[in-house]
Amino acid sequence: MIDSRPMIELRNLHRCFGPTRAVNDVSFAVGRGQVFGYIGPNGAGKTTSMRILATLDQPTAGDAFVDGFSVVNDPDRVRFRLGFMPDYFGTYSNVNVREYLDFFARAYGLRGAERTRAMSYVMSFTKLDTLADKPIDGLSKGMKQRLCLGRAMIHDPAVMILDEPAAGLDPRARIQLREMIRQLAADGKAILISSHILTELAEMCDQVGIIEQGRLLAVGDVAEIRRGQQALHATSMQVRVLGDSAALGQWLTARDDVQEISIDGERIVFEHLGNQEAEAQLLREMIEARFRVIAYGSQTRSLEEVFMHVTRGHVQ
Amino acid sequence: MTTLESSLSGPREEPVEAPARRAWWDRFDAAALRASEWLNPILVKETRQALKSRQFGITFTLVLACAWGWSMLGVSMIGPDIYHGSHGYDMFSGYFVILAFPLLVIVPFGAFRSLAAEREDGTYELLSVTTLRPRQIVSGKLGSAVLQMLVYFSAVSPCLAFTYMLKGIDMATVVFVLYCAFLASLGLSVVGLVAATATTEKHWQIVLSVLLLFGLGWCFFIGMAMVLDGLARNPIPFQDADFWTFNAALLTAFTSYFVLLFCVASAQLTFASDNRSSLLRVVMLSQQALFTGWMGWGFLHERGDLEIPLFYLMDSGFYWAVMGVFMNSESTEMSARVKRQLPQSFLGRTFLTWFNPGPATGYLFAVVNFFAVCLLAGTAVLANLLFFSGRASGWLGAAAHQTVMAFAVVELCYLIIYLGLGRLLAAGLRWLRHPSMLLSVLCQVLMVLLGCGVPLTIHLMMVDLRRDYSLIEISNPFWSLVEVIEAKALTGEVVALLTILPIVAAIVFLANMPSVINAVRQVRIARPKRVVEEDELVELERHPPQPVIDPLAAD
Repeated sequence: MIDSRPMIELRNLHRCFGPTRAVNDVSFAVGRGQVFGYIGPNGAGKTTSMRILATLDQPTAGDAFVDGFSVVNDPDRVRFRLGFMPDYFGTYSNVNVREYLDFFARAYGLRGAERTRAMSYVMSFTKLDTLADKPIDGLSKGMKQRLCLGRAMIHDPAVMILDEPAAGLDPRARIQLREMIRQLAADGKAILISSHILTELAEMCDQVGIIEQGRLLAVGDVAEIRRGQQALHATSMQVRVLGDSAALGQWLTARDDVQEISIDGERIVFEHLGNQEAEAQLLREMIEARFRVIAYGSQTRSLEEVFMHVTRGHVQ
Repeated sequence: MTTLESSLSGPREEPVEAPARRAWWDRFDAAALRASEWLNPILVKETRQALKSRQFGITFTLVLACAWGWSMLGVSMIGPDIYHGSHGYDMFSGYFVILAFPLLVIVPFGAFRSLAAEREDGTYELLSVTTLRPRQIVSGKLGSAVLQMLVYFSAVSPCLAFTYMLKGIDMATVVFVLYCAFLASLGLSVVGLVAATATTEKHWQIVLSVLLLFGLGWCFFIGMAMVLDGLARNPIPFQDADFWTFNAALLTAFTSYFVLLFCVASAQLTFASDNRSSLLRVVMLSQQALFTGWMGWGFLHERGDLEIPLFYLMDSGFYWAVMGVFMNSESTEMSARVKRQLPQSFLGRTFLTWFNPGPATGYLFAVVNFFAVCLLAGTAVLANLLFFSGRASGWLGAAAHQTVMAFAVVELCYLIIYLGLGRLLAAGLRWLRHPSMLLSVLCQVLMVLLGCGVPLTIHLMMVDLRRDYSLIEISNPFWSLVEVIEAKALTGEVVALLTILPIVAAIVFLANMPSVINAVRQVRIARPKRVVEEDELVELERHPPQPVIDPLAAD
């Protein structure tokens, strides 16, 4: 029997701090083996909702579920299934890598050979096995991030919540972290990840949610969000014609679905209001009007452009 | 298959067998590792940290150096008389001061800092998302404190053995004083842990740490003065039965308060939707029962002395007033998690509803408990009349029976009034904004202070009334109760108190009834489907169904 229950589910989640609505009616779901990217400017409510999911805070209204268990009413059952990596290291002094992981393995109730196996797997997965006896204080930032990832997965949780795991890492460390997250998703874990590095999220996430001022503005898979935003907003189009480009410019000016036309030699750039069907119709009409079109295309928005379009940069 | 499972299912290398003749240290290490499986993870981690930490090394070395230094100094001061005289007590005093400082100051403050630092550094959040329970976190910290105590004891124990050999102090005294020091350190450590959980605000943490440090310093000096002065004046009366009775009572009180504080620290760390209150109420009730037991024993032992029920009333009234203020400050919202565990049967609802969290049940819990105390005190008065020929105590006078009964009624009325008003005040605060428990408690304390301070100020301004009690002081429970005792008869003021206060108490009690009824109406809700599913699965794993054997089947 295939379990269709979402591993992470937020249902009309609200969290208020006095008059500030840090999280305002947020709902989404993440399935097994999916990576959900949580995007938003600073102070948008990402960390607050992640903390609620990690049973560190309580919602003002609504609820969140991990593997069907409420984070409010069954936090103990949730914790067993959840690995949380906050946006800070949280390390102890006078402890080495092995002792640190050993402590958290014990804290999750792993005993004897089970704990030894879990630790050796995690150290091998995060490539920390060569640093097992090194004090944590002496680790680099990238190594500490790996250690924190290792700590979050020491009890083999089905759900992982990673708050800004790539912040401050160099490109190599970021790529390695991305590979690890992909591997975890391939192993069936549901992963909720927040990051400011949107290009990376676009590459590793099955779904993204864009949040601002506590409100979820867009949610879906990356391509879907791009398409959705293009349907709502003008698409940047580029046409190259042989001959009189000024005439094409005039022809386009007369249309209602075209705006912001700029002519640069044989290249015309303009904003088109409409979906892909309307773009095809526009090309057909150009050809019927006997313009000699040699290149025609729309520029796909990157996740960053979508993010900039959707959000307004407001903070509460 | 999850990551770990998939990694485990593949071929894996068998651990390399250690050589047959391992060094004894390796064997010891392996044995310690095996033993650590059963220990609290926090204790294991903190022991590892402590063994590497500079602070522990420095403190331990200092204790050792001071002990050896005192040995040298003491012996050189005593000189050749060491062979003939009895100088054990003098040397013991020095060693005890050296040992008591880490035990009474460093270890409890270390316990406070250990937990407070976890909360400041964010590591507490990482701990709280594990499957460790708050109780395990507190016991781990406490275990670590105990381990430190034992290390300090071990550092000074050879010196203490040396004092015994010097004569002048017996082994029983040494053991008893060390046992008291151990208990004091344990008690102060749990106080430190409660202080660490009291607030997460940085500025309050600083204020608390300063207060705690002063408090611990004070305890150290008082402890030193009591032990050293006491030992110098009189030897400990080990032969005296009353000494052991007193110590047994003290140990009972210590244990019950230790458990209460332990539960308070755990409750402070418990997730907000969980039940933080019921266990505390069970401990409170147990404390009351233990106190009642000791008072009952004292009453019989002293052949019906009415001072004992009076002391019982005073102490219990204060206890339930303090506990009631805290219970009044609890949240009114009952989470679905708590509602799942509410008593369901008629008897359960009748007797256990008062253990449910919430200010309304808390108010009634405090009032009913103190009412029971008053009934028991009344029973003691009756017993005095029936079985001890109405024997009156010295200072209470001939009207001791009346005094005790009047005191019980007046104290009960004050408790009903002030706790009832406090509950209404806390409810009003909650309606305006969401106050913290501390703020709610402070407001209730302020209300009592106003109740005492305002009439006192008026009273002091009236020249002719300055010294005598008057009914202006009716809102001042302390002076009114003292007046009931000092009057030693049903004077006009006492009769007025006995008339007015029950009426006011009844009004306040009735004003609180709607909330109490609302709390009683709470009923158990069903567990969510997902929880039921998992519980059934766990149950099935624990007790797999037995295969049905058909006796008629062919063999």
